Amino acid sequence: MAGNNRLKLTLLYIVAFTVLIVMVSPYLYMVLGSFASWDQVDRKIIPTEFSLRSYEWLFFGGEGANARPWMRAFFNSVFVSTTSSILMIATALLVGYSLAKLKFKGNRLINNVILFQMFYPAVILLIPLFLLIRYFGMYDTYWAMILPKAVNLWAIFMYTNFFRGLPNELLEAAKIDGASQWKIVWKIVLPMSKSITTIIFLFVFMERWVELLWDMLVVNSEEMLTLNVLLAQMFGPYGGYPGPMYAASVLLTLPILILFIIFSKNFKKGMQFVLK
Amino acid sequence: MDKSNARLGWLFASPYLIYSLIFFLFPLLWATYLAFTNWNLIAPDYEFVGIQNFIEAFFSESVRAAFFVTYKFLGMFVPIVVGGALLLAMLIHSLPKFKGLFSVAFFLPYLASGVASAIVVNGILSHNSPFNIWLRGTFGLDIDWLGSSILAPLIIALMMAWKFAGYYALLFVAGLESIPKDVYEAAEMDGAVGIKKFWHVTIPMLYPSFYTVTILAVGLMFGIFTEPYVLTGGGPDLSTHTWQLEIYSQAFERLNAGYGTAIAVINSIVTFGSILVFRKILEKWGAKHGWE
Repeated sequence: MAGNNRLKLTLLYIVAFTVLIVMVSPYLYMVLGSFASWDQVDRKIIPTEFSLRSYEWLFFGGEGANARPWMRAFFNSVFVSTTSSILMIATALLVGYSLAKLKFKGNRLINNVILFQMFYPAVILLIPLFLLIRYFGMYDTYWAMILPKAVNLWAIFMYTNFFRGLPNELLEAAKIDGASQWKIVWKIVLPMSKSITTIIFLFVFMERWVELLWDMLVVNSEEMLTLNVLLAQMFGPYGGYPGPMYAASVLLTLPILILFIIFSKNFKKGMQFVLK
Repeated sequence: MDKSNARLGWLFASPYLIYSLIFFLFPLLWATYLAFTNWNLIAPDYEFVGIQNFIEAFFSESVRAAFFVTYKFLGMFVPIVVGGALLLAMLIHSLPKFKGLFSVAFFLPYLASGVASAIVVNGILSHNSPFNIWLRGTFGLDIDWLGSSILAPLIIALMMAWKFAGYYALLFVAGLESIPKDVYEAAEMDGAVGIKKFWHVTIPMLYPSFYTVTILAVGLMFGIFTEPYVLTGGGPDLSTHTWQLEIYSQAFERLNAGYGTAIAVINSIVTFGSILVFRKILEKWGAKHGWE
């Protein structure tokens, strides 16, 4: 009986591990393809000869094409995504706190409007938003990519729900001790919401990092493109050079994966709340 | 005390209020107006054309394509991703150890950019890829994957299912963990085992997770852009031409801002209506099993 059970468990883990390999195989294929020698890219599932030629070609150019500003695009992506995400977190923290803990008239109404907005198909705003950005003179600037993405409704919603669960007594006690509301948010509430903040940051950062349509619309000059947009633009022209395309994909994907794995310790705890 | 709280409340909420005024309410009103004009993004003058844009959209082949393509995607993506996520969740749930490790690993595809996955898929399906050479050699099958109007949408649906299954699985895991043990015990006493137990106990008990996952998945299908834009450009024969592609190409490639906005308005109505219908269907199914 015990032996039978052990066999079953072993089988279960073999299945789980196989599924895991299948799930991450596109990533593996991408990384291997970026380091493979060029006559093996897309010709062998697991390459046997490796070289850095794809990366060299990508950054310094070579036969067939001039170098594109990949590092600049990488910087743009980092800058835009980081700034946007920090703003989203900061605004959501304040708005969520006010909706959950500062009772004021209109509080309820705002809450309901946010819920409505969250489910409102955003595509209808695309064209007027673009016109607005052009009208403000923000076309082809970082502002265009950051300002319309400085507030995130989902983040507000998450924080509001989380703060509702925080005990009032603690905040009251701090208030009696003479702490201002700013101080309470900064010194008490923020440290208490570390795992949820990590998870919200991760999600909004990721979403911002892989945005294509908006970043493609509001930016034009080559040195302003984000990595995702540049990669999408090169899909056709670099079609005959799959190696460098994989190298650029690695550049796009790796930072997110690393960020995620660094924070994955907080992931489970934070997710438990997000999934509720 | 209360008064200062109220003031602070408005102050703290002000970033949201200002943002919504500028980047939501105003564009929304503007969109409603634009949809009834013939503006072309550039010319200083334009006219109010009434419902002409909507009539034109109604008879347009590409708008009709977007309408049906979305439901085609829905029909492929939703069953695949819901089934896949459920299987992944059951796998995670049944593991006595390393649950966290596997949940994190299955979640990783969610982090992929649609552009990067399009590049990988394009490589795997390229004419001389090991996969296609094997198919030709072993079965004599020469398939033009992305050139087929049946296979291209299926490939995009599979790409998206790969991306979202691990994420949705976490929702199912949370659902599985919340099923009380005594429900199973009671069912076993009534003689429910194996498939029967799964079908008559587990599935109905998972209703809240099914509800959330299905609505998320349905909503997603109305906003597809990146994958078809990069991989197929909406083709072949408009078979992957989504709403977002249609709006993008009308407004920003052909510069018909008014007409494009009208399509966006139609799209948001269709989206809203479809999600409502799906919610009603799901709620009905839930009510049958005692969920409110």
